[in-house]
Amino acid sequence: MAHCRIDNADASGWTEKVLPTRLEAIRAAERDLLAEVDECGYGEDCHFAVRLAFEESVINAMRHGNRMDPAKRVRLAYRVSPERVEIRVADEGAGFDPASVPDPTADENLRRPCGRGIMLMRSYMDEVTFSPVGNEVHMVKCRTGCGPRR
Amino acid sequence: METRVREEGPCHVVAIVGSADVNASATLREALLGAVEAGKTRIVCDLSETDFICSDALGVLVRAFLKARARGGFVHLAHPQASVRQVLETTRLDHLFEVFPDVASAIK
Repeated sequence: MAHCRIDNADASGWTEKVLPTRLEAIRAAERDLLAEVDECGYGEDCHFAVRLAFEESVINAMRHGNRMDPAKRVRLAYRVSPERVEIRVADEGAGFDPASVPDPTADENLRRPCGRGIMLMRSYMDEVTFSPVGNEVHMVKCRTGCGPRR
Repeated sequence: METRVREEGPCHVVAIVGSADVNASATLREALLGAVEAGKTRIVCDLSETDFICSDALGVLVRAFLKARARGGFVHLAHPQASVRQVLETTRLDHLFEVFPDVASAIK
């Protein structure tokens, strides 16, 4: 599989970064990822989808996984090819059961101010899988079908 | 992201300009929740220049909506760009908020 830019990547095309648990740290990592997405010629819809899912996954990792503990880190890895964007985000928390998260689109949950992150990740990416413990998520966005899935 | 506020008729109009991402949440909280707490309970969010919105910012909008409603007011959304409208539809928040095509109709 061809890759658009490999200067920061290992031989398998993955770029790996370790972020401190600070929300301000998200922006630079997001900028680097999206630069690769744009460089590979993905359209605005894909750019938006990847940005949204990436941001939601890292926020979840910092807030719910690491509980904003500055001693903990978030490990992220991404690989951008002309066909797909893959992202892995892992925190140092105890994990969780994604199935236990209430459906934020249910009428009774619409007034809740939080709990929409995982649903957005699932809606905007083509594949979202959590590790058995739940402290690592792997997401894939394919070039085709870049809007949210209904 | 920045916010631009203005009074239009009976409404406090808050234009959200740029990306309503996690780093913008504090600014958004101040602009919306601060306004409600200051007694401005009829709020229109002008989303015409909002190019991105995350769940954190959605949470601020929901909190402002609940606070304004509790004080007899409202938070209306106006003129979202297609990508932001899609997020509102995906989360079904378009069923919670009234979404208007422009600020003028949101104020009426």
